[in-house]
Formats: sequence, C-alpha cells, structure tokens
Amino acid sequence: MALRSINLPGIGTKYELETEKKDVVAVFFLKNGNIQMYTLPHDSSDPSVAELTSAEARRLGTILTGAIMEADRESVEIAFSALSDLRISIHTYTIGKRMANKSLEELQIRARTGVTIIAVSRGEKNVINPPPSFVFHEGDTLVAIGETDQLKTFEREIMVD
Amino acid sequence: MEGIVLALFVCLILALFTKRFALPSIPFYIIAGLLLGESGLELVAADEISRFLTDLGLLFLLFFMGLEIKPGRIWRNQSAFVSSGLIDLHINMILGFLVAYVLGFSLFDAVIIAVAFYISSTAMAVTSLIENHKLLLRESETVVWLMIFEDIVLIIFLAFMGNSGGHPLLIVVKICILLGAIIAITHFGRHYLISILKREDELPVLLTFSAVLGIAALSNTIGVPESFMVIAFGTILGTIDPIAFEIHSRPFKDVFLVVFFVFFGITVNLSSGAIPLFAIIAISLLAILSKFLSGMAIGRYIHKNNHSGIEIWSNTASRGEFSIAIAAIYGSAAVSGTIATMVIITSIIGAFAAKFSGRIQKKFSSLGKPVRPVPGTLETADSGRKDD
Repeated sequence: MALRSINLPGIGTKYELETEKKDVVAVFFLKNGNIQMYTLPHDSSDPSVAELTSAEARRLGTILTGAIMEADRESVEIAFSALSDLRISIHTYTIGKRMANKSLEELQIRARTGVTIIAVSRGEKNVINPPPSFVFHEGDTLVAIGETDQLKTFEREIMVD
Repeated sequence: MEGIVLALFVCLILALFTKRFALPSIPFYIIAGLLLGESGLELVAADEISRFLTDLGLLFLLFFMGLEIKPGRIWRNQSAFVSSGLIDLHINMILGFLVAYVLGFSLFDAVIIAVAFYISSTAMAVTSLIENHKLLLRESETVVWLMIFEDIVLIIFLAFMGNSGGHPLLIVVKICILLGAIIAITHFGRHYLISILKREDELPVLLTFSAVLGIAALSNTIGVPESFMVIAFGTILGTIDPIAFEIHSRPFKDVFLVVFFVFFGITVNLSSGAIPLFAIIAISLLAILSKFLSGMAIGRYIHKNNHSGIEIWSNTASRGEFSIAIAAIYGSAAVSGTIATMVIITSIIGAFAAKFSGRIQKKFSSLGKPVRPVPGTLETADSGRKDD
C-alpha cells in the first residue's frame, strides 16, 4: 500500500493510494471546499469520479473506518487523548428468544461479563439506565457499554442462543 | 457611473449563463465589452471611475497570483518543472514574436504580443482540470507546474519592463530596499498581523485592501514597477497566512476583475488598428498551434507519449487573464485589439479541446502510423520522476 500526498498550487491537496491489487484511489481536497474522489481499476485507464461535499466525505470516512456496522448492530469505540490506554466500546444488540422475558437481575449481566446495559429501546419508547427489575421483550434493542473483551464475553455467554 | 452598472449587469447575466454551461467566462466578458463599447454599440465609455476600478482588478489579480507562489515548494519541485517550462517558454515566445514581427508590429509591440501569446490562462487551466475531472491524470501535475513557471516568467518580465525611465541599477536598488522593508515589517510584526487576521470584524478586510493599494501607490511614488511589487508583496504575505489573505481579498478580486475584463473590451477598438482582421485571426490560430507543438514536445519529453501531449495542449491552449493584463499595462491600440481577439478565440477553442481531449486523442492515435493500444496513464507516466 503506497500513499502519497502532494500539494497542487491553485487546486488543492491530493492524496493517492495504491492498493495491493494495484487499483488506485485518489482524493483531492479542492480549494473551493469540495472533494473529488477518483478510483482507477488496475486494468483500465478510465477513472470514475465522485464529487463530495465535506459532510458527505466525513460520512464516507466513518463508513470506511468500520465504525458503523449493520444498522441493528452498531458499535462505537471511544478513546480519550489524555487516557490513551482506556478504550470504551458502546454496542447495540437486538434481544432474541433466549433473553426474552428475563429481568436484568436474573441475567446477572454485569456480574458475569462486566458489561453494563445503559439503555433499552422498545418500539417508540426508550428506557435510559434500566433498573434491575427491568424485563426484556423479544425485539428490544439494548445499548451495552464495556471493553471490547467484555462485550465479546457478553455475546458468547448471554446473547448466544 | 450608469455605464459601469450596465456593464456589471450584463456580466452578471453572462456569468450565470457560462457557469450553467461550464464555459469559460473571461472571453464572454470581453465580447460583452466589445459590443457595449467603442467597437460596438458605444453604450458605455471608460471614465475616471471605471479606470480606478479596472486598476483595482489588475492589482488584486496580481496580488492573488503572488499569494499562490510558494518559493520553498517551487525549489523542491524544480526538476519537475524547469525542463517543461523552458520548452513551453521557447516554442511559444519565439513563435509569437516572429509572427507578430512578420505581420508588421514594431519591435516593442512584437515583444508584448509574444508574452501575451506565451502565457496561458491559469484560471482556465485549473477550472478545466477540475470540471473535466482530470485531476488524476499525471499530466495535470505537469500543467499545474507549467502555470507556475509561466507566472514566474511573467514576474521577471514585469520587473524588467515596468520601469518608466530611470537608471536600471537605481530601480533594482529601490526594489531591494522596498522588499527588504516589507520582509522586515512582516517578519517582526508577524504575530501582530496574525492576531489582526483572526478578528471577525472589518479589520482583516480593511488591512488587506489598504495594504495592496498602499504598496501600489508607494511603488508609483518612488518609481518602481507596481505590478511587480504587488506580486512580490503577495508572495511575502503568503508566508504568513495565505488562506486568510485569500479569503479577505477574494471578493475584491472577483468583482473588480470582471470590471477589468469588460472595460478592457470596452476600450479596445477593433476597427481602428492598422493590422487587418485576417492577420489578427491568423495570430490567434497560430497561438493554438504553437501550444500544440509545445504540449506535444513536453508530453514526449516528460510522459514519453503523444496522448499526454494532447492532454497538456488542451488544458493550456487558453490565453486569458495574464495576456489581458499584459495588454492593459503595455499595449497600444493595435496590440490590445490583437490580444483581445487572441484571448477570445483561444479560450473558446481551448475550452472545447479540454472537454473533448479524450476523443481528440483517439482521432490522433488513429492518424498516427503505429497504432499502439492506449496505455494506462498511470503505468506509462514518468517512472523516473519523484514526487513527495
């Protein structure tokens, strides 16, 4: 993977990336604030172009970093610049049959995995910081917070059907 | 005053029209000027106010050009652009001079025409590369550096041609003293200047505007070429905060430059010149041809193929703002008429050439003797060249 950047006077800054398969992706940050993205397959000499506003480019960037996964199972990782070894993940899950009709107390989620459930979304309603007596229904979306390893344990021990 | 307003509104309509159809706007402003002024309906004539506004347009064009020039960056890229710049300079300057001289222009006028003939429009080249989605081509870097090289030639030309009498050595000394003073002020007042530029009120704009006018007035008073000084001033300020100065001077440049183009057209008298119309058109067509020759030579030399030559030609064939600037500063009536026509013809042909360069390349390769498959632009490109 070769990345090069170059400043073109009067035009803007160019970033060009050659992938392992020799395809080329180039991004130009133009002086007028817009962004042009070129892709050139290794077996062609005709590039295709997309013009993006900076908001669109940011959105594309988030997708490419992998931060947004499937719509019903999103995950965000937070890192603080002052606390470089603290990495917190926030993840959403959809309740299946196995967890349905059980309360938070019954499931012992925090004690068994270290993960904390911070919110549950049911239809139009959101419950922030649900109490131990809260009972899950099938189809609820829950928001869990923890370290990546803890969330993995949660998926393995509790979510698995 | 009514004349200026009329001209401005005509230009506003033309701007809407040309942006809608992605055409270059400069030739249309000049055509509008020709139709409104001495050569056409004689509805608008230049007066004191319009002359002041056109002066502002020229000053801000040059100041803006100065801001874009980054000596450090040019120094790092010299190998990339000196050879192509020299090819471009020699072919076009010599051809332009010979044609003008043969057609009966005086020695001085022929030099002025040669410079206007040589210098392509940076604005049109940049717009063409962006609008026609050509930024990924290797040739686009070559074109951008060619434009910078041409700018530098223009600066040198302005420095040497700008003096109105006086011993050349004395002028060089004066320029050095003035430049030294500007560099000293910007160096020691750097933090103060930056703090002013960061303000949200009218101060940054007022500072930019009055500084540019102040340098021009000062240059005139002490007898050094103002156009050169304004560019140099832009380059020095570019070392502080080029983006801030660009933002604060852009509105002036945008508006006054349109006034500059339209009033250039208004004051040009096409029918008065001693040079027949066919000769003027011949120069314009030769201007297209000579950029084709230099483009092909650069394409073969740097990118090792003809397709690159056509790409370089199609993006640099347009003459524009700098040719008009040369005509406005030095041109006699006959020279101005010739350059106006050349800008109109080359920029319109250039715009279409740039849009359809792909098809022209295919036509061209079917004409050439050995029909090679079209090589991928990236594989064939300058393998020996280094970019950072």
